[in-house]
Formats: sequence, structure tokens, C-alpha cells
Amino acid sequence: MIREFFTQLRLNAILGLFLVGVLLLVIALGLVWTPYDPLAIDLDHTLGQPSWSHWFGTDQFGRDVLSRAMLGARISTMIAVETVVVAVAAGAMLGVIAGFLRGWTDRALMTVTDAVLAFPGMLLALALIAVLGSSRRSIVLALSIAYLPSVLRVVRSAVLSIREREYVEASQVSGDSTLYTMVRHVLPNTLPPVIVLATSMFGWVVLSESALSFLGVGVPPPAPTWGNMLSMARPYMANAAWLSIVPGLCIAATLLGVNLLGDAIRDYFDPRREAR
Amino acid sequence: MADARRTFGSRFRRPLIGGAAALLSLCVSLTTFQTGAHAETTLRARLNADILSTEPGDRRDENTDGVLLHVVEGLVASREDGAVGPMLAQSWTVSPDGSTYTFTLRSGVTFHNGAPLTSAEVVWSLERYFRQDSRWRCKLDFSGQGIGNLVSMTAPGPATVVIALDRAAPLLLKILARSDCTGTGIMHPDSVGPDGAFKHPIGTGPFKLGEWRRNQFVDLIRFDKYAPLPGPADGNAGGKAPLVDRVRFLVIPDGSAAVAALLRGSLDVLDNLSPTELGSVRDKTGVRLDIAPTMDFYCLLFQTNDPVTGDERLRRAIALTIDTAGLTNAITWGTSKPNNSPVPATSPFFGSVQSELRKPDIAEAKRLIKESGYDGRPIKIITNRRYPQNFDAAVLVQAMARPAGINLEIDTLDWASQLARYGSGNYQVMAHTFSARMDPSLLFNVLIGDKTRDPRKVWSTEDARAMLQQSMATDDPVARQAAFDALHRAFLEYTPAVVLFNTSRIAAVHDNVKGYRGWAGAQPRLWGVSIN
Amino acid sequence: MLAYTFKRLLLTLPTLLLVALIVFFMIRLIPGDPAQVLLGEGADQASLAALRESLGLDKSLPRQFLTWAGNALQGDLGRSIVSDEPVIALIIDRFQLTAVVVLVAVALATIIAVTAGLIAAWRRDSGIDVAVVGTASLVMAIPSFWLGLILLLVFGLKLGWLPVVGYVPFSESASEAVFYLVLPILTLTIIESGMLTRMMRSSAIDVLQLEYVTHARAKGLAERTVLARHVFPNAFAPTLTLVGLTLGHLLGGIAVTETVFTLPGLGRLMVDSILARDYPVVQGCLLFTAVIYVLVNLIVDLLYPFFDPRVTAQ
Repeated sequence: MIREFFTQLRLNAILGLFLVGVLLLVIALGLVWTPYDPLAIDLDHTLGQPSWSHWFGTDQFGRDVLSRAMLGARISTMIAVETVVVAVAAGAMLGVIAGFLRGWTDRALMTVTDAVLAFPGMLLALALIAVLGSSRRSIVLALSIAYLPSVLRVVRSAVLSIREREYVEASQVSGDSTLYTMVRHVLPNTLPPVIVLATSMFGWVVLSESALSFLGVGVPPPAPTWGNMLSMARPYMANAAWLSIVPGLCIAATLLGVNLLGDAIRDYFDPRREAR
Repeated sequence: MADARRTFGSRFRRPLIGGAAALLSLCVSLTTFQTGAHAETTLRARLNADILSTEPGDRRDENTDGVLLHVVEGLVASREDGAVGPMLAQSWTVSPDGSTYTFTLRSGVTFHNGAPLTSAEVVWSLERYFRQDSRWRCKLDFSGQGIGNLVSMTAPGPATVVIALDRAAPLLLKILARSDCTGTGIMHPDSVGPDGAFKHPIGTGPFKLGEWRRNQFVDLIRFDKYAPLPGPADGNAGGKAPLVDRVRFLVIPDGSAAVAALLRGSLDVLDNLSPTELGSVRDKTGVRLDIAPTMDFYCLLFQTNDPVTGDERLRRAIALTIDTAGLTNAITWGTSKPNNSPVPATSPFFGSVQSELRKPDIAEAKRLIKESGYDGRPIKIITNRRYPQNFDAAVLVQAMARPAGINLEIDTLDWASQLARYGSGNYQVMAHTFSARMDPSLLFNVLIGDKTRDPRKVWSTEDARAMLQQSMATDDPVARQAAFDALHRAFLEYTPAVVLFNTSRIAAVHDNVKGYRGWAGAQPRLWGVSIN
Repeated sequence: MLAYTFKRLLLTLPTLLLVALIVFFMIRLIPGDPAQVLLGEGADQASLAALRESLGLDKSLPRQFLTWAGNALQGDLGRSIVSDEPVIALIIDRFQLTAVVVLVAVALATIIAVTAGLIAAWRRDSGIDVAVVGTASLVMAIPSFWLGLILLLVFGLKLGWLPVVGYVPFSESASEAVFYLVLPILTLTIIESGMLTRMMRSSAIDVLQLEYVTHARAKGLAERTVLARHVFPNAFAPTLTLVGLTLGHLLGGIAVTETVFTLPGLGRLMVDSILARDYPVVQGCLLFTAVIYVLVNLIVDLLYPFFDPRVTAQ
């Protein structure tokens, strides 16, 4: 009985919901209260070990790591959400256009997609940020451009099967404009694969942002993100390990939560897999 | 080169026969020991990036200069206190009008190829530096805007060289000694092939250039016929006897990798250590630290043309929020002293006026801000990650200025973009760094000048330019000190920049290395260094 | 087969041309001047202009592109602005290291994924399955550089078993080189095995439900034989596609891992060259990685029929 209740699917979903819930709570709490000012320096207490007054210690400028991790949760999450929204919106639109119109539009879009996909995504983002300047907005834009082709491909292949369906043909035969058909009938039906993709993309974006910070082009200071906290911690790894452990665990826990939740969503949309 | 090839035969050994080879070399070293010859000594030092070329006056950077200054020497060389001492020239006289220098060459100096040094090679080398397509960094100092135009370089006798300029040039020797101009190193004409292409440097320095394997190492081989000056080494001048058979500069870009190599014993001298790496070598047995203050400086630059930072009161307010001592201590981990003057603490011109630090005063800063009418709009401060101290300085200054109501926004660029913005003057505030220059006039010179002609200059007022000219026009120490004192006071008042500190060159050295000392020139010196 | 290969190769040409165009113009949009970077903060206008001219940077952009593309077609990618080395030699030199690390790591990850995925699928919902899926999910949630740093901290600094960072080229000493590559390979293997394991498990579950597996079992074949002979070959195709995609991307540079372990690989070369505005090197590297990506995908496509269930099942 007990074992059946805790089937893997449920366990995944519960754990995922729990972790994401904790993340949202931390973000909400950080909006109204943090133990210290996350940006305030204290040059008399640099690299302080975790203690009662500073649960997660202080960094090389005496800033409270817990407060920074809380603010970082908000910034890292916002960047990921913004990137996913931009990439999915633009990718879905172009994907529907390519898949529905076919012909030379499709070919042109797919050639560009292939070209962009042939670049290592991280380096593409790095070069784009160098062009756009290092700011939060340009990081969102660069990562969106890097991830857009994957969305476009998924949506396009979904559209290719949707456009053969009866209601789409019916809509066209009844004299609806192409635009109307695309928006009213095709776009909504691409939603399930897009939602599944968006959840896993969230994880990739959090990882990419941290990697970009690690390479030195992340969100500009003093704003903390988990990624730039990690990259700052590198020189102090041997004598101040808490500086790298805290943001690393934050990233891992968040991603685990989001990925597990993503699995549950996928199983929900894919009844064939629900049996598992 | 022949002996370099012989010693490097070893690298072709396959690991499988490595054991046998080691055994063999042990036998060989035992026999050579018995016959009285000493085993070859190698000193291994670290470069944080590969050198760019082996041609003095061509593609260069700090590492390239540091290596080549072991191979070539100039007529004169920088001493530790920034003054100039004799090197290949044993003495010189200056014409009464100060425009013509007559150098007398030292006798008994030979090039690495065995040829004796004469005035012919000196003039050949100088002419090469001044040729049309030369990239020699000091070439443009010989102009109307620099120290004066070059009139002639002649060799009236085998040991006499005359350099004439079109005006009095008290800074000529300092320019010739600059390490970023490879000390105007003299080479033998055989350094260049018959087709005019550069082959390898044949200099007079304590070491000959050995094998250069890109991204791995550069070898220097002891020059047995080196004729050292009497006395101890003093900067790049003084006695520079080579005490080891070979110096190998290993290219190790990463600081922590270099530390690991040092602790494992595969590196003897770890020069140019970042302060953040200090924790991993401090208190380690068998390793000592060598910390030497240098003449570079870290600072904030202000764009005085900008509508916001153009206001003197706002600039002074920002300066008043900065706790220079606390900032310096946090950024350099206690290895550097705070300094608000462009004159470095190691300079003889660093007097009581220069040594006084600006006291942070938030109340006064707030008053100045109110007076200036600044409304809290964001001010961009540009910084980069290539020099961690620039980055840290921007972060700390941002945090320190915040309580006074100054809204600095950090804009992290890569170094290339920051240099471009510096070059065009397109910025409000910039956390920047200037490499070591051996004379205070040259240091002020990077800040002072006509912005409309050179957008890099931050301080364009008439009086500043006049004071700088004054400091350069004389070599009387008292008059120069007075000029530098006046410059410093005006600098604090006008605040075109805020100097924060001069870095220290930190080296971690194995205990078996004797004689290694860092110096203000911020470049490794491996002559006079021995290894047990 | 040959004709198909050739046709596929031809189809990649427009992609590659577009790649070249994007690369060329994007890097020139980045503010910053290679001449200024080379000469440093003290350079004057005259020597900057002279250097730009000698590097050919004073020519019009279309002309620079045509010159570069024309030379690239003949296999000449130019010389590095910074080190003056031929770009193609630089790339090959750095690529060897990246290729060794990536190939070994992906091979190991594939072996782990196939084994773990098959066992998890075979014993679905058991403790082993939960452990495998849990570990795989966890691994997918870890930033690669963080894992690298933690491994460094544990094996390099605390235990002192392995060198912290650094690199000895294979030409110097093969045994030492391996010693230095253990940690980077381990990091990559762990990170890449996560997604591959999950992919393998899910396709193995699909195959296990097929009729011919039941048929094979009914014939009285041992479970091990069923798994090895019948389930693995048919479940491997989707994993192979993923392996191909992974390889294509990783061979283009593992900049982050190379930075953590200070390996002079292709990714590091690209990052450094972007930062130094070393146009010829960035262009050459990106073109090279794009070609590698296209080639790896082509090879995977050509291998696919050997593993496709529909082909084998007949």
C-alpha cells in the first residue's frame, strides 16, 4: 500500500513542488526582509566563518552571504523566467510561421536556426554580451537568442503535424485568414511540448547564467546572483569554502526542484508515459 | 643555440625509457662530479602568459620585456630608486644647452656571439629602433610633444656615441632606460638575417636566449663571458652576474596552478602572485615571500567633460567617501600601502605632502553634493575583470559612495572594451590602472595633457600643464620636489582622478633560492640569483 | 550511401556560409580595437593607425570578409593578431586536448548511462531504479564548474591525491598528462552521464514492453542475454542521437571546465581570443567548431540505421 502511494511519479512531484515552494518562499521573504543589507560592506569582518550572527558567513568584503543568497535567488530566478518567456514567445511565433507557411520562409528560418545551433551556445552568448554590453537586459537577450532555435525546432515539428489536422483545414476552407488560423488554431495546440521544453529550459538558463558569471560576463555587481557569488568565491575556495558551497547548493536544489516538477508536467501531458 | 639544442635533447625521451635515462644521467652526473665539473643548475621561474616575441622593440608586453631584459642591455639602466645608472656606457657628458649627450662605452664588453661592443653596433641598434616601421614604444617620445625631436645619432670614435636632440632633454636617460622600451637594448647586427628579417637577439646581457616553446617555456642560457659591473645589482643596473647555468621561464597562466607547482617543488620562483593567492603560500615551510612596492598605480579616472562628473564638487565628494586605507587593505590583503598621490611611495620625491592621505568625510561629501545640485541620477563606473584589483576597487567605491547618496552603477567591460573607452574618453568614472613608470613626471604625464588633442588625458587645465612642464624642464631635485608638491595639491583640489594605491610585486620563493629580490620596476631579475 | 553522404554535405554549405557571415560581422560589432589591446594603454594614435594598417583592419568590411573567406576556402585561416601564429596550427594544437577530454568523458558517460539505464529500466520502480533516477536528476542540477571546484577541493587540496590545476602536454610525458586530466574528465563524465542515463532508461522501458522481448524471454533466454542482445541494440538509438548532439557541442569547447582546471583547450582559446579581439582566431575557431558540429551530426545520422529498432526488428 505505502509503496504504491509513493510511486516514483508522486515522489518526484512532491519533492519538486516542495523545493520550488521553498524557493518561492525565500524570494518572497527576501522582498520584505533579509538579515543584513546584502550590499553593505564591512571591511573589519571579511571572510567571516559561519556563525550565529552570520549563518552562512561573510564574503571577502564582509557582506552577509545569507542575505546575498536570498537576493540572489530573486535575481537568478527573474533572469531565468525572463529569458524563458522571451525565447519561448519569439521561438513559438517563428516556429509556427515556419511550420505553417512552409516553403522558402521555412527554409530560410531553418538555415538560420541550423547556423545558430552550430555555435557553442555559451560562446555565442559570450560574444553577444560583448556586443551588447554587460547588463541584466543584455544577458537575458543573449541567452534568449542562444535558446531560441531549440524552441523554434520543437514548435515547428509540432506544427507540421497539427496543420494536417481537420480543424485546421476546416478553418482555412471556411475562409479564415492565415494569420487567424495560425493564432487561433495552431499556436494553442503547440502548448504542451512548449511547456515541457520551458521547464527544462529554466534549468539550463540558471546554469548558463552561472557559467557566464564564472567566465566574467555575468550580471554586473554589486547585485548578487548565485552565479556571480560562485565565481567570486573561487580564489577563496581553500580558506573560505562556505563561499562556494552556499550558492552551489542553492543552484542544485532549485534545479532539482524545477526538473522534478518538469518531469511531472511531462508525464501529465504524455499519457503514454504516465504508466511509469 | 648549439648548446641549447644539446641540453634539450632530453625532451625527446619517451616516458617508457625515462627510468633508464634517469639512471644513465645519474651515472653521468656522478662521473662529471668526480672529474670536478659541476652539475648544471636550472632556475625555474613563472610567467603568467607567454612572451609575444623575442625581438626587443617589437610586439611586447610586461612579460616580454621582463625576459628580454635578461638578454639585452642599453647604454643606461634604471636603478631601484628610479634614477638612472650606467650600463653599457661607463659615463656620459651633456652639452651646456642640455640637448646633446656624449656617451663613452665601457671596454671589455662582448656580445653573445663573441664580438666586442663598439659604437657601430650601438648606432646600428638605435637606428633600427627609429626605422620607419619600428614598433619601439619610445619612438614617439622623440617628438615635439615628447622630450624633443631627434637631430642625429653618430659614432665619432669606436667607444663614443653622440645623441643630439633639438632642445634640452633632461629626461632622455630616463626614456632610454624604460623597461617597456626594453631598456633601449643594444644588439649585434647579426641578430638580423641578410634578408632583413629578425632571427634572434644577440645582446650583451647576462643570459643568452635559449629555446622558446610557445605556451610552454622560454629558456635563457648563462653567458659565460658576461662582464658584470662592480657592486651589487641595483634595479636593472649594477652588477648582474649570472649565477645559474639556465633560467627556465615556465608559462603557467593560472595563479593556483602556479602555487601548486611551487609547493610541489617544480617551480623555484613564483613571481607576480596575486594577493588573493597569498593565503595558500603563507606560512608554508620551505617557501618565503618577497613583497616589493612598485611604481604602478590603481586609480579612479573622472571624465571632466561629462555634464555630471564635470562638476568638481561632485568629484571631490566621491573622493571624500572613499576610505583609501580600508579599501587598499581589503583589496591587496595588506600587501600594499594606501597612496593618494600619483608619485609612488618608493620614489625619492614621495615626501610629506604626498604621503598624507585624504580623510573620509561623509558629512562634507553630502554638503558638496547638495551644493553641486546632483540629483542622485546613476553615474556609470567602468571596470573590468582582467585586473581583479580594478574590479574590487569599483565594487568597494560603489558601496562606500552609496551612504552619501551617490548612485554609482558598475559597468563591467572586458579589458579590450575598457581600453577603447579610455582611448576615446567615453566614460564618466573608470577604475583604471597604469603600469610602472620610473619618474614622477612620466606618471603625471599620463594624466595631464590637452584633452582635445588626446582624449585619454583626464587633467587638461592650463596650470596643471604648466606645472608638469616645470617638473620636466629641470633636473634639480629641490625645484622638482617643489613642482611635484604643487601638482599634488592641485590634484587633490581639482580631483580629475583618485589615486588609491601602488601595488606590490609579490613573489613566493623556494628556500634553496638565494639572492632573489623584487623591486619597484615590477619585473623579475634572475641575475645575481643562485640555487642550491 | 556515398551519394547520400555527399548530398548531406552539400546541404550544409549554406549553413556554413551563414555561420561564417555571422562570425565575421558579430565580432566586429564588439567595441574594442585589437591594435589598442596589443599596444596597451600608452599607445599613441600614429602607431595605432600603423598597426591597424599592417593587420589589414583599415580595409572596408566586405573586402576584409572576402579576403578572409577566400583564404579560408584554401585552408588558410590567417595568423593570430596576438601571437602571430597560424590560426590553423593554434586550433589543431588546442583541439587535441579538448578532443581527448571530451571523447574519453563522453565514452565513459555513455557506458555508465547504458549500464545504469538498462538496469533501472529492467528493475523499474525498485530501489535501484529510484536511486539511478534520483542520482541522474541530481547530477543534471549541478553546475559543471561547481562540481569541478568541489572535486578540486576534495581530491586536490584536502586529500592531495591529484594535481590541483595545470597541464602537462602529452608530448612531454603521457603518464603525467593523464594524471592532470583525471579530474576534468571525471567532472565532464559525471555531468554528461545524467541526461544520457535518463534517456537510455526511458527508451529501454519502451523496448521492454515490445512483443519480441516477451517472445525472447518465452524462448527461455537468460535475462542478461535478453538485455544485451535484444533490448540494448534497440533502445540505444535515441541515446546515440543525444550522444552525437553532446559530442558536437562539447567538441566546440568546454570553456568552463577548461577554465576551472586551467587547461589550454579550444574553449579557453576562444574565450581568450574574444576578450583580446583576436579576430582571425575567433573566426577560425567558430568556423572550425561549426564544421565539427555539422560533421558529428552527419556521422550520427549515418550510424542511425544500424541502431534503428524498425530496421533491426525486421
